[in-house]
Amino acid sequence: MAKYKTEPLRLWNKAKELRLKFYENYAKAHEKGGLRWAGGAWTLDAIPRGLGDDVWSITSEPYAASIAFNKKFSLRCLEATERAGYARDLCSYMRNYWGSIILDEYAFPEFSKKWPKPDFIFQDHICCSHSKWYQVVCDLEPGVPMFSVDVGCAPAMKADGETFKYVPMPQHAIDYVVGQCLDGIDFLVKVTGREYNDELLRKAIYNHMRSTALWAKVCELQKTIPAPLEEKTLYSLYVLGVLAKASQWCADFYEELLADVEDRVDRGIAAIAEERARLISDTQPPWGFLKVFRYLEEFGCISIGSLYTFGLVGQWELKEDGTWGAKTFPASVDDLPKDREGMLAEYIKFEINKPEWQHFYHPALKSAMMIKIARDWKLDGVMLHYNRGCEGLTIGIAENRLALQKAGFPVMTFEGNMGDEREFDEARTMARIDAFMETLSLNKIEV
Amino acid sequence: MITAGVDCGSKNVRVVIVKDGEIMAQSMAPAGMDTANAAQEAYDKALAEAGIAAGDIEKVVATGAGKNEPGFKDDDVTEVGADARGAVHLFPDARTVIDVGAEEGRAIKIDAQGKVIDFAINEKCAAGAGAFTESMARALEVKLEELGPLSLESTQAIPMNAQCAVFAESEVVTLVHKKTSKQDMARAIHDAIADRITSMVRRVGIEEKIVLIGGVSYNIGFVKSLEEDLETKVLIPERPEFVGALGAALVAASK
Amino acid sequence: MIEMFKEWYDARHEYAKEWKKKTGGKVLGYFCTYVPEEIVYAAGVLPVRILGSHEPQNVTEPHIFAMFCPFCRDVLAQGLQGRYDYLDGIMIAQSCLHVRQAYTSWDLHIPSEFSYYLPMPHHVQSKRAVPFTRAEFEIFKTRLEEWTAKKITDDDLRRGIETVNRDRQMMKQVYELRKADEVPLTGLEAMQMVVSSQMTDKTEHARVVEDALKELKGRTIGRPTGTRLMLLGSENDDVEFIGMVESLDATIVQDDHCTGTRYFWDEVENGGDPMDAIAARYVKRTPCPTKDWPERKRIGRILSFAKEWDVAGAIIIQQKFCDPHEIDIPAIRKALEDAGLKVLFLELDVTVPVGQFKIRTEAFLEMLAEDDLF
Repeated sequence: MAKYKTEPLRLWNKAKELRLKFYENYAKAHEKGGLRWAGGAWTLDAIPRGLGDDVWSITSEPYAASIAFNKKFSLRCLEATERAGYARDLCSYMRNYWGSIILDEYAFPEFSKKWPKPDFIFQDHICCSHSKWYQVVCDLEPGVPMFSVDVGCAPAMKADGETFKYVPMPQHAIDYVVGQCLDGIDFLVKVTGREYNDELLRKAIYNHMRSTALWAKVCELQKTIPAPLEEKTLYSLYVLGVLAKASQWCADFYEELLADVEDRVDRGIAAIAEERARLISDTQPPWGFLKVFRYLEEFGCISIGSLYTFGLVGQWELKEDGTWGAKTFPASVDDLPKDREGMLAEYIKFEINKPEWQHFYHPALKSAMMIKIARDWKLDGVMLHYNRGCEGLTIGIAENRLALQKAGFPVMTFEGNMGDEREFDEARTMARIDAFMETLSLNKIEV
Repeated sequence: MITAGVDCGSKNVRVVIVKDGEIMAQSMAPAGMDTANAAQEAYDKALAEAGIAAGDIEKVVATGAGKNEPGFKDDDVTEVGADARGAVHLFPDARTVIDVGAEEGRAIKIDAQGKVIDFAINEKCAAGAGAFTESMARALEVKLEELGPLSLESTQAIPMNAQCAVFAESEVVTLVHKKTSKQDMARAIHDAIADRITSMVRRVGIEEKIVLIGGVSYNIGFVKSLEEDLETKVLIPERPEFVGALGAALVAASK
Repeated sequence: MIEMFKEWYDARHEYAKEWKKKTGGKVLGYFCTYVPEEIVYAAGVLPVRILGSHEPQNVTEPHIFAMFCPFCRDVLAQGLQGRYDYLDGIMIAQSCLHVRQAYTSWDLHIPSEFSYYLPMPHHVQSKRAVPFTRAEFEIFKTRLEEWTAKKITDDDLRRGIETVNRDRQMMKQVYELRKADEVPLTGLEAMQMVVSSQMTDKTEHARVVEDALKELKGRTIGRPTGTRLMLLGSENDDVEFIGMVESLDATIVQDDHCTGTRYFWDEVENGGDPMDAIAARYVKRTPCPTKDWPERKRIGRILSFAKEWDVAGAIIIQQKFCDPHEIDIPAIRKALEDAGLKVLFLELDVTVPVGQFKIRTEAFLEMLAEDDLF
């Protein structure tokens, strides 16, 4: 008899369809007179939405992760980038993405055989590689104009040992980021020749707030024992927010998803039937080897998420009762300022709290958030992916390990690469999991 | 109760037969390309040495990278679990176990009850110490077993890269060109490996008593460098390469 | 006089300890050259750059994941081994992710009465960067005032600017001498001059540079200059490596790295509001690649240096795993090659396989010599 009842997630297929639609829209944008643009997962994507409803983006990290998932194509991309003279230890998303340009092939050949070149680049910068990534894209695709906004100027929190609190964004930092956004809008108008619609921007900012807060609400439900979702499923869901958090469709989907997951919780539906121990992971997984998570399940162990899945998209705040929950956002779009500068300031003040931006300043901030998750989401341990493919998310990870251990949580580390499977040793990783499970006194469940 | 442990390493398979906590026999065979065969060979040898038949063995537990290979095993345990068990059996107050083998190094932290509380395994860049010393012995044109005594005669420490085996190898080439003495080069090699191993041990924390196991423990040059880095003595069992198999046999007795 | 720089470089810790004893002042260790030293001088505090020692170590593994650059681990090792125990404070100005970890781990594990993270902007090509930087420098100034319990006036800031500028101007004059057909100092000596300026009181340093200038006017390096090279990279105080290159009938006559021109070349335009001027200097200085976007402004500087100092080839020395530099290398290589300059690329770790690099450097120099023949 299984310990808990499970059933497939009702919205699974819808999530899959929305994701594919995204890549189709980007590829086919020109057919309907629309525009295509490129930018990273953290770019302020509400801003290009002011150019019209027919403006479609390719979000570079998830696009590169899609490449990585297709091991054959990924290897060709990586090798093409290396042949072009780029070092093998650079960000592996970047190398996959460049490879797709160099080979002139799209990872979704059903929509376009050739790489659909963007009309412009609108990027953000907090990781050293963010703007440099697109600088090289401009070398590879001469003539594509680029603008990038530096958001790495103000930590949103302070940590004191295991606790943390939010601090307001200083005015000069707001001015700096908002100023760049205003310059970015001027740039967009100049390079597209389109008029800019502030009302569309306002709507997009509101959808951004909805998407990111609703996603955090979904993640809050992961506190439930048994957890309604496991991390592998979270990957398929959070990706929509990564792709298009400022879109109406994404915010609407997360609303639907929240209701669905609440229903699972109410009915006691579990992600895995034999949940005995709960972990979180950290950083992007090795996309070609998600079976790591299935393997955990053989021990009755579930990864209920990560600061990465919770905080890459989700927006959080500390509640009065001391819990960490979804960030409060205005009740309606009408509550946002109408003037461009005013609405941008609200947007930036909201977004600057992103959990995944904090560790860029100090690992203590990330450690405090992870310990909070470990306690409130009732974890038995933590599994850290020492990801050779991403400096931005592994910065400080060794200190996170020490802090988690000090707080009493067993930690396992494994080395790999989110986007370059040549750096992942499957057999050794599984052996490490075996040893970690032994230390947690978990045996494989006999089937 | 008689049990057996089989440690299927990348280079050798080792078998230990234990009766009520006492070692009856220990044997080994080169792993070659067929671990299953090698395991059988080592197992047969051990049975012969102990003077018993396979039927006398109540339970066989396998460990090591090839732990699923032996057809005669009943169960398996991870290398981390086996090392810890074997080391604690030999040295009950061990808190840190360092296993340095051909392809992998690991450090294990144990609590007062002998339970594993943390472990670290060398990362990609800091590849196997055993294989590295072998190739370095070849580069210096000395026998592997000469490398250790040679380094004890060194008169100066020469800094060498501690992070990456590939870089370290090319540094050895540089030293050869500089006409550095073999003694000093041998020491530089052991210092470099000891640095890499110590780095790994620091991840779990250095806590006494420290037990060093694995084939590389026979290399007195390495042991000296390691003890200098750790700033303390390490305990080395009589047959350090059999501790994993011993641990597996003990696990078999308690499962 | 010129030997003084090497002495200071070798005895950096003794110098700082001695300075403290002599002046009773505080010493602030910093991790990156984006730290506005003018403000630190205005506070009467001695800024010293924390650099590695190029020795193997085994203490940083628990703190920094091995895929980050050897430099940041080497730097942290100095702290964990207690070699900078005389520091009264530490600080970093936001630059690359690598060295940032040396700072944050230091902050976590080595107690210090003052520890400061200065959010230096990345988008230095934006017109928004100077006002932001100015505001951050003001906050930094206030923190320094609180720490030292002493007000920093505009006059103090102007004096700070004057002190740092003076040293910059002197060093630039030395660099000018390297344009000569037969240079009066080696690349190693020049590098030690610059790095020692990061480790000593600049008033004293500038005086020694001034004296050295007189001495250099009639000096030779005791051998022909040979092939004129330029050294490009990140943090490159690898003495053994530079010495090896210069033992091969070649001399490094110009550079772009942060233990060279990237550190000191640009001056603060003194005159107007001092804080505005300091902010503008750090925003507009030759950038570290992590801040060099969307345009690659560094390349222009490299090319004009190459021309003015008449270099025959460039050696790019790359800290293993340094992504910001690695990303720029194909573009820099192309720009140099388009300008007719050959490039040797070498990847450096904490210690260097000098013998192997020697063979490659010799081959490179041979290739350059053949270019000369035809």
